[in-house]
Amino acid sequence: MKLEVRNVSKSYGGRLVLRNIDLAVEEREFICILGHSGCGKSTLLNMIAGYIPPDSGEIIVDGKQVTGPSRSRGMVFQDHALFPWLTVLNNIAFGPRVQKVPKTEAKQMAREYLKLVGLEAYESHYPAELSGGMKQRVGIARALAGRPDILLMDEPFGALDVLTRESMQAELRRICEGLQPTVLFVTHSISEAVYLADRVVIMKHGAIADVFKVGMPHPRSPHSPQFGEAAARIERVLMDDERTEAHFAVEEALYAPKAGSA
Amino acid sequence: MNRSEAAANSTRATLRISLSNMTFLPAVLFFVLWELFARMNATLKLFNPRFLPPPTVLIEEGWRLAKTGIILDSIISSTTRIAAGFAIGCAAALIAGVLIAKFKAVEFWFAPILNLVGPIPALALLPLFIIWFGIGEFPKILLIAWTTFIPVLVNTLDGFKSVPSTLVRSALSLGASDRQVFLRVMLPAAVPNFLVGAQVSLGLSFSALIVSEMMGASSGLGYIIVDARNFFKMSNMFIAIILIGLEYSLFSWLLKLVEKKALAWRKDGLRNAVQR
Repeated sequence: MKLEVRNVSKSYGGRLVLRNIDLAVEEREFICILGHSGCGKSTLLNMIAGYIPPDSGEIIVDGKQVTGPSRSRGMVFQDHALFPWLTVLNNIAFGPRVQKVPKTEAKQMAREYLKLVGLEAYESHYPAELSGGMKQRVGIARALAGRPDILLMDEPFGALDVLTRESMQAELRRICEGLQPTVLFVTHSISEAVYLADRVVIMKHGAIADVFKVGMPHPRSPHSPQFGEAAARIERVLMDDERTEAHFAVEEALYAPKAGSA
Repeated sequence: MNRSEAAANSTRATLRISLSNMTFLPAVLFFVLWELFARMNATLKLFNPRFLPPPTVLIEEGWRLAKTGIILDSIISSTTRIAAGFAIGCAAALIAGVLIAKFKAVEFWFAPILNLVGPIPALALLPLFIIWFGIGEFPKILLIAWTTFIPVLVNTLDGFKSVPSTLVRSALSLGASDRQVFLRVMLPAAVPNFLVGAQVSLGLSFSALIVSEMMGASSGLGYIIVDARNFFKMSNMFIAIILIGLEYSLFSWLLKLVEKKALAWRKDGLRNAVQR
């Protein structure tokens, strides 16, 4: 087992955002954590990264409990979080450099990862000179160059336009076929999750509602019947209690004023 | 489009190009008008002509003064003071900023004191400094350093506080130690704010320079001004004022140069918002 989340809970200001999360991830597995905004999926990812501690329960990576951020878990952020004062190459070389790899060797490694994401021509550009999709490619290359055991991705394509997003998804799949990393990918797009993941973890209201094994060979076509079927099943789980929630809202609206006046 | 229209357009175009190349034109016009007005006043006597000498007379007097060596001496002593005071102030502010940002205890003990003494106009401290440290170079440089210190420190601290958390997080997830995060993320991220502070305090430190030279000094551009007042040498006063202006422009330009070099990675801003 690569990563184990055991009975983790977290609350902010008395509000429970995550309750009793249990999740086990195998080596080389690609997991998508899917859910509406505010369902706690990013909080879970931030806890696995070690940025925030769980209130209860534990997170274990390679048999060791997570106590803080470390190079074993690399992160790709939605806002890419590149260092704006470093060139593309030095951004990617940052990980190796802080891990005490000699300068020339670090640059050589950075060039390899830059090549992997197809941006060799931009090594001496600054992030401000790149497009959104290119920045995120650099973000992925930088995270990979840190040689993490698990790659965490927090809605990395959320800020990209649809066309760029689709090509980035294909690109990420291609990279994964080659390097076979263990990936935890947070998204709110059902089709993105079905396209990328081995397993889709569906989260609702701070709990895991269902885990869905996709089991289709890559490359997956969004137009195939199985793809549509999988997406529909996930959507059903996701939308299921939308209705009951709506019912609750209606009930509240109906009964609250009476309760107030009584 | 007929021929005359085209010709008119082309002359308008050349006029525009030549105008944009002549940035010195407003300044020249300013001095010409000054000259004309002062000459006119010399005959019309709207007010005492000695109050406003024409620029040509100033150049004449300035040349005479320069030959005595007073101007060069004054420029050298003023430049030494401002350079030393400004550099010490910036360095001290950077060190203090790093200590305050890095150590909670330093922040706890020093931030309230800084809030207490920071808003006091530095010039109010000058008489005190003179009594404590005499009329030598030390109190002057100290005053300039202190005026520089506060704005640079405030801006630098602001820079440390506004570093995006995702930058720190990504550095940590790439395996950076706390020390590396500070040196490789916090410090470079605060450089723009530090430079803003330096720009702001440059003007203030020039005021400190001139005032400190007006009180208890025997050299410098500020000293020329008080000396000229005592002996009613209006032209000397104008010469010193103009030199102060030039000196400030030079320092400001140098700082801009440093900024351009240090912030080459920044591509945003109004100038780049719309390309013309």
